[in-house]
Amino acid sequence: MQDWVEKYRPKSLRDIVGNNTAIRELAGWASGWKIGDDPVLLYGKPGIGKTSAVYALAADMGWEVVELNASDERTKSVIDKIAGTTSTTMSLTGASRKLLVFDEADNLHGNADRGGARAILDTIKNSRQPIILIANDIYGVAKELKSACTLIQFRSLQARSIVPRLKYICSSEGIKCNENSLLNIAEESSGDMRSAVNMLHAASAGSDVQEGMVATSSKDERSSIFDLVSAAFKEKDDRKLMALSFEIPDTPETTGQWIEDNLSSLKNPAEMALAYSYISKADEFLGDTYRRQYYTLWRYAGAIMLIGTAVSARGAGISGRISPPSRWGKMYRAKKQKGLRNSIFRNLSGKYHMPEDTLRDDMLIPLSIIADESPHEFARENNFDKDELDFFLHDKVRSGAVIKDIQKSEKEKEKAEKKKQSSKKASAPVQPPSAPPVDPVDKDNREEDPADVEEKKKDLSQSTLFDGF
Amino acid sequence: MDGNNTIWTEKYRPRALDDVVGQKEIVARLKSYVKTGSLPHLLFTGPAGIGKTTSAVALAREFFGDDWQVNFRELNASDERGIDVVRNQIKQFARTAPMGGAEFKILFLDEADALTNDAQAALRRTMENYAYTCRFILSCNYSSKIIDPIQSRCAIYRFRPLDREAITEELNRIAKTEELNITDEAMSAIIYVAQGDMRKAINALQGGAIISPEIKEEMIYEITSTARPDEIRELLGIILEGNFDAAEHKLNELIIGRGIAPGELLNQCYRALVANGDIDRQLKVEMISHLGDADFRISEGANPNVQMEALLARCILSAQNSGR
Repeated sequence: MQDWVEKYRPKSLRDIVGNNTAIRELAGWASGWKIGDDPVLLYGKPGIGKTSAVYALAADMGWEVVELNASDERTKSVIDKIAGTTSTTMSLTGASRKLLVFDEADNLHGNADRGGARAILDTIKNSRQPIILIANDIYGVAKELKSACTLIQFRSLQARSIVPRLKYICSSEGIKCNENSLLNIAEESSGDMRSAVNMLHAASAGSDVQEGMVATSSKDERSSIFDLVSAAFKEKDDRKLMALSFEIPDTPETTGQWIEDNLSSLKNPAEMALAYSYISKADEFLGDTYRRQYYTLWRYAGAIMLIGTAVSARGAGISGRISPPSRWGKMYRAKKQKGLRNSIFRNLSGKYHMPEDTLRDDMLIPLSIIADESPHEFARENNFDKDELDFFLHDKVRSGAVIKDIQKSEKEKEKAEKKKQSSKKASAPVQPPSAPPVDPVDKDNREEDPADVEEKKKDLSQSTLFDGF
Repeated sequence: MDGNNTIWTEKYRPRALDDVVGQKEIVARLKSYVKTGSLPHLLFTGPAGIGKTTSAVALAREFFGDDWQVNFRELNASDERGIDVVRNQIKQFARTAPMGGAEFKILFLDEADALTNDAQAALRRTMENYAYTCRFILSCNYSSKIIDPIQSRCAIYRFRPLDREAITEELNRIAKTEELNITDEAMSAIIYVAQGDMRKAINALQGGAIISPEIKEEMIYEITSTARPDEIRELLGIILEGNFDAAEHKLNELIIGRGIAPGELLNQCYRALVANGDIDRQLKVEMISHLGDADFRISEGANPNVQMEALLARCILSAQNSGR
């Protein structure tokens, strides 16, 4: 008997649930694939069909798959050995092509996978076979890799698109199922098809699926953070309150953020100040917990924030809806920005032989001025992408245009070089047919960005030459 | 007499799923996996000593019968927590074919939350690629430390601390075989000391049995170096009255006279405070906060005796302020 997730993995792209645009894009890429095309990078949350789509695609196209994932060692030498031979040789089994898949491209691990990203990049550049990269976190992917790929995003699935698939599984397994319970599973899985199938498997083991059973096997059972937050504002029995806090899977830290965001329902300033004094004390304990890895302190944090809130609210309860911490959305964006900032300064610090904090404190303004004066040179020299350049320019449209220019000129350079090589190999006959295709590209450039491109390109090559010396 | 030279937690570890106490719903689900012969990857979460390992081993026994040991492997992730263990040991086990006609093997990864994030990431595809030959059971204390992609691959079972009935049932079973007599007070003492942790409960019982087959309340507190709940209540009472000298005397009696560790005393005071419904709630929170401060300072290397006495003084001050 097989694991259901594997058993019901879609066999063809047609069977994949949701993400229609992404699937169409992927299929289009594959059917038109020729040597020299960019690889694709699929990204999105776990369990929404990225890996399944790749295998289904390979099956549809009759391609053979060679996969390297984080469970394989991915140092440069290993990648060169496996991917290198794969990507430049033909298949033995007669499959028309071999599809090279790098799963978990956001997980190349420092020491253990030294040189991995570089090696993948080299493989990509020289590959004679199609390549697909898969990642959860687009920001975890080395930016050189990112810029070498066509990005395709997979999105979380809607509960209503998960249900039919679950129904299909039930009917193939000969299990009776209750419509409501399937909907529960689908909603519980928050858009994660794999998790939904697992829950269904767990809930149905040996019997029919009924409503009550779903709860025992789902991610989160019985009590939720909502119950706890609401109890913190009205429960009078501290033992019950603390017992409830053990029922939920969230950490005291998360609980604290929820409570804090709902403190606004305390109308009296004195109550609010009191509640905040407890939350902040609890927060100190949380800080100590993590700083010292001394988890005993968790219980004090939990008790102070929960009982403290109950004291301050005087059992009044929450008026209005309990909402998730609004800070999370903002934090997510801020975190992105911070990650970007750190990676920029890390790279620059090596380049300019300066510590990161010196760069940040003293050089940010000079660098921004340089970036503003000559964005093309600045971006090219540091190998920046759009977001990184924008960090200095604070002008999304302009940064985007600059990077586009650079990419175009680079592509042309590559083409020119290839032409040179091919013309060397097979001198006269090849040249005439390969010459014309260059023109349309140039035309495209001119339409978008007249004249400017050509000039900038010349400037660039000169300045980089000088900088090099 | 093997009762004297084996550890009871091992000797009385349930062999069959039916013997696992206190986790009825979970056991019922696990049994139905055995019945249908199909098993997804599982993730067991919950505090220590409540049957996670036991359930995994029992599940393997029921799946594989007598051959269970060749097809079951237990790895403790806290011993080796880097990415290499996944890439070498785990993969090696997972990729080889099951033996003795079994359809798959089971790899039990204890304390999976100790695995580094890198190692967890490496585990993801291993779980899928070898799902045909190997099922994973991960166990951890906090599911929040397991990365989402792995949670998405597992059916999650949340084990809860064992209640009074479950511990009583198991201890009585052991007492019967070992010919012990447990008084009601002693049973309550064990339950108080164990805090839902069966391993602690059984260890306390075995500790008592070495002294005498008549298990009494005092023995349990003695061997576990725990204060009696009424002693803690007494200490709190003295603090609320504001008598520092008496409180200090009681504290010394417990710490020096009885050898109770300050950390344990803090733990007991914390439990007593939370459970106490008579103390003014605001005062209660304040005292819990003092407890936490003392706990933190002691963990940082401050002198426990000084910190405990300072704690008394602070609590007394808070109590007096709250009275006014």
